[in-house]
Amino acid sequence: MICLTAPRIRYNPAMKKSASPRKSPKKSARKGKSTRRPWFWRLFLRVFFVGIVLLAGWTVYLDAVVTSRFEGRRFEVPSRVYARPLELYDGASVSSGALQRELELSGYRAGDGNQAGTYRRNGGHFIISTRGFLFTDGLEPRRRLSLTIYGDRIQDFRVLSGDPSPIVRLEPAQIGGIYPAHKEDRVLVQLADVPNLFTDALLAVEDRNFHDHLGIAPLSIARAMLANIRAGEIVQGGSTLTQQLVKNFFLTREQTLLRKGNEALMSLLLELHYEKSDILETYLNEVYVGQAGTRAIHGFGLASQFYFGESIRDLEAHQIALLVGLVKGPSYYNPRRHPERALSRRNLVIDVMAETGLIVEEEAARARAQPLGVTNRASYSENRYPAYIDLVRRHLARDYKQEDLQSEGLRIFTTLNPAIQYAAEFSVRDMLNRMEGGSDATLESAMVVTSRDSGEVLALVGGRDPKYAGFNRAVDASRPIGSLIKPFVYLTALQQPDRYTLITPVEDKGFSLVFDDGRRWEPQNYDKEERGQVPLHEALSHSYNLPTVRVGLDVGIDSVKSTLQGFGVTGGISEYPSMLLGSVSMTPVTVAQIYQGLATSGFNTPLRTIRQVTDAEGEALSRYSLKVDQVADPAAVHLVQYVMQETMQEGTGRSAYRTVPRELTLAGKTGTTDDGRDSWFAGFSGDLLAVTWVGRDDNGPTSLTGATGALPVWSRFMSQVPQHGFSPVVPDGVEYHWVNPEEVALTDEHCENARLMPFITGSEPDVEVSCSGNLERRIRGWFEGLFQ
Amino acid sequence: MKVNAFRHAGLIAVAITVAGCASGPGGGSIYVPAGGEHSRDEAPQPPQTSERGDEPRVERKSEQPEEPMRQPEHSTPSYQDEGDALSPAARSLIRRADGLMASGDTQAAVAQLERAQRISPRSAQVYFKLSQAYVALDQLGSAEQFTLKGLSLAGSDSSLQRAGWLLLADIRRARGNVAGADQAEARASAL
Repeated sequence: MICLTAPRIRYNPAMKKSASPRKSPKKSARKGKSTRRPWFWRLFLRVFFVGIVLLAGWTVYLDAVVTSRFEGRRFEVPSRVYARPLELYDGASVSSGALQRELELSGYRAGDGNQAGTYRRNGGHFIISTRGFLFTDGLEPRRRLSLTIYGDRIQDFRVLSGDPSPIVRLEPAQIGGIYPAHKEDRVLVQLADVPNLFTDALLAVEDRNFHDHLGIAPLSIARAMLANIRAGEIVQGGSTLTQQLVKNFFLTREQTLLRKGNEALMSLLLELHYEKSDILETYLNEVYVGQAGTRAIHGFGLASQFYFGESIRDLEAHQIALLVGLVKGPSYYNPRRHPERALSRRNLVIDVMAETGLIVEEEAARARAQPLGVTNRASYSENRYPAYIDLVRRHLARDYKQEDLQSEGLRIFTTLNPAIQYAAEFSVRDMLNRMEGGSDATLESAMVVTSRDSGEVLALVGGRDPKYAGFNRAVDASRPIGSLIKPFVYLTALQQPDRYTLITPVEDKGFSLVFDDGRRWEPQNYDKEERGQVPLHEALSHSYNLPTVRVGLDVGIDSVKSTLQGFGVTGGISEYPSMLLGSVSMTPVTVAQIYQGLATSGFNTPLRTIRQVTDAEGEALSRYSLKVDQVADPAAVHLVQYVMQETMQEGTGRSAYRTVPRELTLAGKTGTTDDGRDSWFAGFSGDLLAVTWVGRDDNGPTSLTGATGALPVWSRFMSQVPQHGFSPVVPDGVEYHWVNPEEVALTDEHCENARLMPFITGSEPDVEVSCSGNLERRIRGWFEGLFQ
Repeated sequence: MKVNAFRHAGLIAVAITVAGCASGPGGGSIYVPAGGEHSRDEAPQPPQTSERGDEPRVERKSEQPEEPMRQPEHSTPSYQDEGDALSPAARSLIRRADGLMASGDTQAAVAQLERAQRISPRSAQVYFKLSQAYVALDQLGSAEQFTLKGLSLAGSDSSLQRAGWLLLADIRRARGNVAGADQAEARASAL
């Protein structure tokens, strides 16, 4: 029996279910009529009390959630990264195009030049109304400026209105940010910073009874419904600001009854614990108002910068109306994508502002007549300078924790010069496209540009596609530097003036070295030629290998190594003789670092990308100051600089002057490694030092040399940037003499083969040769001397 | 002690001011506007315009490599006897820095001097001023280096040379480098 019935019960759950309801009425019926009422009330009370206890427990739980998260949650504010501010003054080096690009990057609009944040350009004449900026060393107040650009320099710089000053800084352009994982971006504002009209307009549209309700307002819902019916569309939302805040702050987006209940309960609790002003301020910072790529724009502080390039303090009525209107649907009313929708929404808000008496009808009419006035695009894109920001992050990582950078709203003032960066990116892209017909997509490049005397990194290009945030070759591609090492070999030699001068004859003849293990090394010149004896300066300016190895072996590999270390090489340096020809791997940034000392007469200047880091309020946290450190005798460096100039005029770098104007004196050095795997150029003008590398990521061969790969990119860059020529001051202990380098003798200025060359005092030749022949020329020279 | 050691400080300030005024404009490094790319600057969409505009010119050049070399007029390496004069903008920032130093805000003064250095990086005065600021901050190592840097740009300007060597003598003495200080002082008096 059991065996038969049990499976039936087991396999027919429906029966079981239907059975139980049948049972219970039977039971209750059996309890009798007399006990029915007390039983019902007992149950009701029980359920009621259980419900009360549960609700109380739930409320206590929600209360804990509300208070702990509202108090404990600080907004995670990303760090902001700024370009260097452009300094405007008479004589400042800037082209009209670069100034216009700079203004646009800082979110300026072409306009009347009277309203803050606008400029007017007429050819080379600019009127600029600055917005002002609080730097740590003081406020740059708002000013109206007038200037003319002629020959890539500022002239007639005048402050038309505002605090007069011969030099004014523009607001620095934001070039990036360091964001928390959830990619929420915001600029915190305090209630006191927000114009009253703004909060009044917001409350008029979103929650008219904000100051009176307890968190939820059934009457408001009714009134909103009425207003919406009257307007024929939704002009007011039903939920209070508090409810909206609770929804964004604590809850998910799902629309369930339970969630609505929680929302109401939490709104009441929030109102119970906190002042209206706290709730309003949090709302102003929390509200979602737009999207820029993966970055979510939160809060009105950032919204006013994002859409208008303005501080919230300075917004006008029509701008306030647009931002308030956005709350209803930031994507639907996106003023950049859907300007018509945004305009009608804005005007609707202006109507509400007028109806509620916030502005008078004339003001409303004026506001309605205004265009949307949003900046053309997001004032910056976080992916604009990925290679540069990458280097900034690495420098920051020395002193700051990642989580602080992502949440503390730090302001990072970098040394990036957008005009120089633009020219560098353009040169890399343009010249690589031209090389090998532009068809060879595997050819890659990197470029570093620094300010010669301050070591500030002005531009960094990590590859031929500068917007690609991948492999950063400028920082991570460590490649043999080839002949870029030669100036350091000769510098080491020239620091011994009793043994080496620029005209010391050196042997350009083949030889072989046999190592202890029996291996042989037979260096060759690039052209496989041998020239016998050549003067030292020619060996360097023409980048001959054989004399370099001889000189290097003579002064000692150790000495060359310690010269390199003095100039800033921290990594390992090979002690094989092949290091004298550059079998030492370095990144472009390291090359820029060691060439800094060559460019500045022996002063090592640490490269910097950051001038200063401040907290969100602008208090300085760390400063990265200019430092100089003398690492070589300025006299010997001056001699090397002479030859690096000669390189550009007669040596391996001379093709630069196909692109660069002759007046721009430059100094530099080419570098090529075997089979053209690496093509390097490093050189400098009076203002800038630039290093370029061209090669392949897989280290494959190319048909390029330093002169045909990296140099064209470098020259293209130099030709685009207005700057001072290189003209070093003759240091103490250096004298210039007219010499005949082949004869290793002093000679007369007007003789054939005469060169005016620098010598460390006392190392000049002590023999003198007179000119052979050419009497006429000597007499002419004598007369010229007489009348000079 | 610092006050005693820096007996030349007043002299230096005067020397810098005098030298600054004496070396007026003219001379100095040659400024070269961007070469032949002006049309690009004026164009609203620079890269595109330029790529199209420049291509024929450069191609022609690469086909005829000898012609544009202009060999005969190749110049000789450049040098100058003195550093550049301070620009008026840098001078105004140095004045601002002087005010800040007088009020004891040396760190802010350094910030202004670094602005001045970026504007006039090849004038010795800026570095001597930085050196003085670092003396006030009691960072004598940095002060000595900035003095050396300034001296490397003083060239044949004997008043700047003297100011620099005396400053260096003071700093070295304060650092306990008596021999170095004497040497620097001897250099100053030899001028």
